[in-house]
Amino acid sequence: MKRLLYLLLLGPLVWIDTACTDTCTETRVFRQYTPVSLTTNQVRMGLNVANARGLVNPGKIYTKDGYLFINELKMGIHVIDNRDPANPKPVAFINIPGNGDMAVRGNFLYADSYMDLVTLDISNLADIHEVARSQNVFTQGQFDGGWWYYSQTSTNDLIQDQRVDYIKQTVQTNCEATPATPVSWWGGVQFANAAFDSKTSPGGTTNGTGGSMARFTLYDKYLYAVSMSEMKLFNVQQPSKPAFSSTVNMGWGIETIFPYKDKLFIGSQTGMLIYDNVDPANPKRLSVFQHARVCDPVVVNDNTAYVTLRSGNACGGFTNQLDVIDITNLTNPTLLKSYPMRNPYGLGVDFPNLFICEGAYGLKSFNVSDPMQVDKNLQQYLDDLQAYDVIPMGGVSGQKLLLMIGKDGFYQFDYSNPSRLRLLSKIPVSRPDLT
Amino acid sequence: MKPHYILCWLLLLSSLAKAQLPAAESPLTERTYPFVNYTELGGLFGRVVYPTFAGSPNEVVENKLSLTLQTFNGVQVRPRLAVGGVVGIDWYAGALLMPVGAGVRYDLARPNQKNVNVFASADVGYGLTWLNKSSTGNDLTRGGLMLNPGIGLRFGKPNKGAFVMSVSYKRQNAEAAKPLQGNDIRRDESRVYNRLAVRLGMSF
Repeated sequence: MKRLLYLLLLGPLVWIDTACTDTCTETRVFRQYTPVSLTTNQVRMGLNVANARGLVNPGKIYTKDGYLFINELKMGIHVIDNRDPANPKPVAFINIPGNGDMAVRGNFLYADSYMDLVTLDISNLADIHEVARSQNVFTQGQFDGGWWYYSQTSTNDLIQDQRVDYIKQTVQTNCEATPATPVSWWGGVQFANAAFDSKTSPGGTTNGTGGSMARFTLYDKYLYAVSMSEMKLFNVQQPSKPAFSSTVNMGWGIETIFPYKDKLFIGSQTGMLIYDNVDPANPKRLSVFQHARVCDPVVVNDNTAYVTLRSGNACGGFTNQLDVIDITNLTNPTLLKSYPMRNPYGLGVDFPNLFICEGAYGLKSFNVSDPMQVDKNLQQYLDDLQAYDVIPMGGVSGQKLLLMIGKDGFYQFDYSNPSRLRLLSKIPVSRPDLT
Repeated sequence: MKPHYILCWLLLLSSLAKAQLPAAESPLTERTYPFVNYTELGGLFGRVVYPTFAGSPNEVVENKLSLTLQTFNGVQVRPRLAVGGVVGIDWYAGALLMPVGAGVRYDLARPNQKNVNVFASADVGYGLTWLNKSSTGNDLTRGGLMLNPGIGLRFGKPNKGAFVMSVSYKRQNAEAAKPLQGNDIRRDESRVYNRLAVRLGMSF
C-alpha cells in the first residue's frame, strides 16, 4: 500500500517533466501612424471657443498669472483657472486645429495651427477671439511623433498629416532579455515637443511660463518659434499684431527652445545649440554640444545645463540618459557626467531640485547639488503615473508648486519637501486606449 | 545594507547553527527541537517556446538549464516534520535571483533505522533581485513569488549527516523592463520560470 502511495507521488513528477516551460510575456504599447489629409480651409474655419471639456490627449502646458493652458494635441487649448492649485476650474476650450504650442504675452495668446500662427485676445475669458493670423509661416512639424507637411505651392492647399493610435501588443519571449523582433511599422516617435519660460524677459511685458519641451518662447519683443530646421522670429512689440520678422536656419532636428538670461538653449536631435541673444532680433550661434542622435529637451541653471536624451524612431539612437553639462564657457560646453534613464521626456529644474519625466514610467525627483552624484540623490520616484513635461513654479502662495502633465492627467504637487511630493490636485484624462 | 552582506550573514548564521549541532545530538524526542539543515546544489531544467517574431505562427523551442544553490535551515518540530527558512541563489539566464522564504521537510516514512528515507519538501518565498545586474534597459524591476514543492531521498543514518537527492517543481515570478525601441512608449516583460529542479546535497 505504502509503495503504491510513493508511486502516486511520482505522478506529479511526470507532469513536471512535461510542463516545465517558462512563460515570459512581453507587453508593449506603441504608436501607430495612419496618413490623413486636411484642407487649409478646414483648419482656418475650425477655430472657435467652446465649453470646457475633459482632457483626452494632453500635450504641453503653459501658465500665466494663475491660469493654465493645456494643449489638447492637434485639437486646441484647455483654459483652466488655477489660482487655487488644489482646485483648478476649467474655464473654456479653444478649438485650434493643428495646435501644439502656445505662449502668452499680456492678454494675448499665440498658438500654432498647422501652418499658421494665430493670435487670440484672452483679456476677457468669456469672450476669447482671434485677432490676428500669420498665414503659412510653418511648413512642417510633428505631433506625438506623427509628421505633418504643408507646401503652399505643391500640395494643392492640402495638409498631409498622420493620425496616431496607441496599440497594445503582447508577445511570448525567450525570457532572456533579448528582444523578439517587433512587427514592422513606420513613422516617428516623440511626444509633442514643448518649451521653457521667459521669466527673465526684459522690457516690462508679462510673459507666461512653459515647459521644457516647448517650441515657442517669448523674449524681449520677439516670439521665437522653432520648427524642424529653423527658428522663426515674430516681432510682438505690438502684442495683438505679431509680425513675421526673420528666419534663422539651424540645421535639422530642432526640438525645443529654452531661454536663460540673454542666451537661447536649443535642444536638437544631434546636440544642444547655444545662441547668444544679446541682440534679440538676431540670435548668434555660440556653440554646439554634440551627442548621439536622439531627442533632447534642455533646461539650464546657472553654469549647468541638464539635457535628457531619449531614443525612438524619430529621435533615432538607443540612448536614454541625463547629461549634465558645464556651460561656464558658453563657447565650449563640456560634459560633466551622464546618467542612465528609462525614457526621459521633459524636465524642470528649481535648484537644487531636478524633476525628470520618464514618460509612461513616472516622475523622478533628484537633488543635483553635486552634479557628479545625481544618481545617488534620487529623492523620490513616483512610478504609478505618466509624466511628459513638468514646470517647477518655485514658491506660490506659501507652497512650492510643481505642474506636471502626463498621458493620464494633469497633476499639481507641492514640492516643499522634494522627497515627498504632496499631490494638490489632478485633472484626469479620459482615454480608454491607454488605461 | 548591501545585499551581499545580508547573504553572508545568513550563510554565517547557518554555519554557526551547524557548529551548535553536537548540543542537539540527543536522541530525538517530542520535546527537543533539533536543528536541521539541507544544503543542495543542482540544476533547474526547463524549456521555453516563443514565436520567431511577434505575430508569427512559427515557434522556436529552446531548452533551459540554470544553476541553483539552496540551503534550508530549520528545526525538527515533529519526528517527521521539520520547519525552517530557505535561502538560495538561482542563476537564470538574464536574471540572478535570491529566493528567501519558509519551507517544510516531511519524512514520508516513520523514523527508523533504514539508511534511505523518502521525504517531501515544500518551500514558499519571494525571489529578491538584489544580486542581479542587468544590461542597461533590461533591469529586473521586481522579483516575485517562489514556489518549490517536491520529493527527495536521504541516504544516511537517522540523526547523522546524510546525502540528499531531490526532485521538485520550481516556479518563480519576476518582472523585467525592456529597452524601448521605435515607437514604443512602454515595454515590460512578465516572467514565470517553470522548472524541474534536480538537486544533490547534504543534510544533517
